Amino acid sequence: MNGLWRRRLWRALLSLGVLAVLYGIASQIGSALLPRRIWMVAHYIEDVELLPPYASLLEEAVFLVKSGILPRSILVSTARVLEGLALGAAVGVPLGLSMARVARLEWLLDPWVTFFRFTPALALLPLYALWFGLGELSKILLIATAVAVVTLLGAYQGVRDVPRVYLEAAKSLGASDGLILRKIVWPAALPQILSSVRIALGLAWVTVVVAELIKATMPSLGYLLALAGAYPRVSTIAVGIVTIGVLVLACDAAALGLYAMATRWMKRSPADA
Amino acid sequence: MPEPRRRRLEMRDVVHVYEGKTATRALDGVSLDVHDNEFLAIVGPVGSGKTTLVRIVAGFLRPTSGVVLCDGAPVTGPGPERGYVFQEEAIFPWMSVRDNLGFGLLAKGVVASEREKIVAELVRLIGLEGYEGAYPKELSGGMSKMVEVARVLATDPAILLLDEPFGLLDAQTRSKMQDQLSLLWEEKRKTVILVTHDVEEAIYLADRVVVFTPRPGRIKVEVTVDLPRPRSLETRFSPAFLALKRSIWKEIGRA
Repeated sequence: MNGLWRRRLWRALLSLGVLAVLYGIASQIGSALLPRRIWMVAHYIEDVELLPPYASLLEEAVFLVKSGILPRSILVSTARVLEGLALGAAVGVPLGLSMARVARLEWLLDPWVTFFRFTPALALLPLYALWFGLGELSKILLIATAVAVVTLLGAYQGVRDVPRVYLEAAKSLGASDGLILRKIVWPAALPQILSSVRIALGLAWVTVVVAELIKATMPSLGYLLALAGAYPRVSTIAVGIVTIGVLVLACDAAALGLYAMATRWMKRSPADA
Repeated sequence: MPEPRRRRLEMRDVVHVYEGKTATRALDGVSLDVHDNEFLAIVGPVGSGKTTLVRIVAGFLRPTSGVVLCDGAPVTGPGPERGYVFQEEAIFPWMSVRDNLGFGLLAKGVVASEREKIVAELVRLIGLEGYEGAYPKELSGGMSKMVEVARVLATDPAILLLDEPFGLLDAQTRSKMQDQLSLLWEEKRKTVILVTHDVEEAIYLADRVVVFTPRPGRIKVEVTVDLPRPRSLETRFSPAFLALKRSIWKEIGRA
C-alpha cells in the first residue's frame, strides 16, 4: 500500500512539474507575441498579460498569501465543500441503499433521479438563492445536491452489484434483514459507495466555485475567481485555479486512502499491490 | 430394509419451470425421500435440474408445482436447519475466517463468549489454526471451501445441502476434500444431499446415488451404495466400487 502511495505521489509531482515547465515555455513565447491591449465588449483594456510569466504569478501568489486573502479563502471554501459533502452523502447514501432494497421506492424514484441527474449547478443557483436566501444555506445545499445525486447512484449500484450468493448464504444461515443489511449489503457495497464519494468530492469543488457566486463576498475562492475574471487579471485566475487543483488533489488522495483502508479485504491485481 | 428410519425430507412431484422468453422445464415431477442421517448423492448431466432441486429444498426457489416437506412441514424459505454449501465461493470476503465461521451463530443470537468457543473448535476441526484473523483472499480454494462447510456446521443443522461443493477445485484437492467430508460425516452424522457430476465422488461419499435424466430432470435410477465405512483410498479401487461406477455410467450413457 505504501509503495502504491509513493508511486502515485511521484507521478503527480512529475506530471505537474512537466505542466509547469510547458507553461513556462508558453508564457515566454507568449509574452513576446501576444497583444497587451485587448478589446473587451465596449472598450479597450490596457496592459493585460494573457499568459503571465512566472515572475508575475509569483508576485501575485505572494500578495494573495501575505494579505491573508488566499489562506482565508481556502478555509472558507474547504469548509463549504466538506459541509456540502457530508450533508449530500448523508442524504444520498441512505436513499440509494433503500432504493436498491425496496422495489417500490425504486419504481417511484428512478425517473426522478434520471430527470434531475444532469441538472447543472448553475441552473439551480438562482432558484436556491430565491428559496434558501443569499447566505450559507443555499451555497451548502447547492453542493449537497450535486453530491447527493452522485452518492445515491453509487450506493444504489453498489447494493445492486452485491453477488446473490452472499445474500443467499446469509439467509440460509438464518440472518435477519437487519443483520444482512449491516453485515452483508453495507460492507459489500462500501467500495462502490466510497468510489462515488470520491467522484462527488471532485464535483463538490466544481460546484463550490459556482455556489460562491451567490451574493459573492470575500473571502472565498469562488469570489476570488469571479473578481479576477471581471478585472481581468489572468495571474489571479491562474493562482486560483492552481490552488483549487492542489486542494482537489489533496482531497482525492485522502478519499483514495480511505478507500484503500476500507477495502483491505479485496483481492487486488498485482499492478496495484 | 428392516431398520425403521425416519423420513427427514420428502419431495412430492416437484416440477420447476424457469420462466423466460422460452420457458425451460428443469424438473419434471421428482419424488424423493431422504432418511434421517442418510448421505444421498444426486448425479446427472449438466442441465438435468439437480441444482434446481437442492435450491428448492434450500428454499431459494419455489417449485412451480409439487411440495417439499422438511420434518413434515412444507419448506417456505431458506433456514439454518438446512445448511447450504454453494458451487461458487460463498464465504464473505470482507470478514475474517473467524467472523465467517461465527456468522450463523451471530444470526442465531449466540453470545460472544459461546460463539468464540464454538468457532475455536471449528478452526481446530478443519485445521486452520493461525488463520482465524485472515481474510478469505489469503486462503487457497480448498481452505475456503472447508471454511464454508464449517460455517454451515457451526449452527448444527439437521440437513446439509452440498451443491457441487468441490467442482471448482483441482482433482488432488478435491479428493482430499472428499476424505475430509467423509470423516466429518462419520463424526457428525447428518442428513446430506450432495449434488455432483462426479460419479466417483458420489459413490465414495454416499449411501445412495440417484441418477437424473437430462432436461427435463427426472429420476432415472436409484443405486444403493453398500460399501463399508469408513471408506479410504482402497475403497476407490475395490471391485465393488468399480462395479457400481460401471453400472452408473451405463445408466447415464443410456439417457
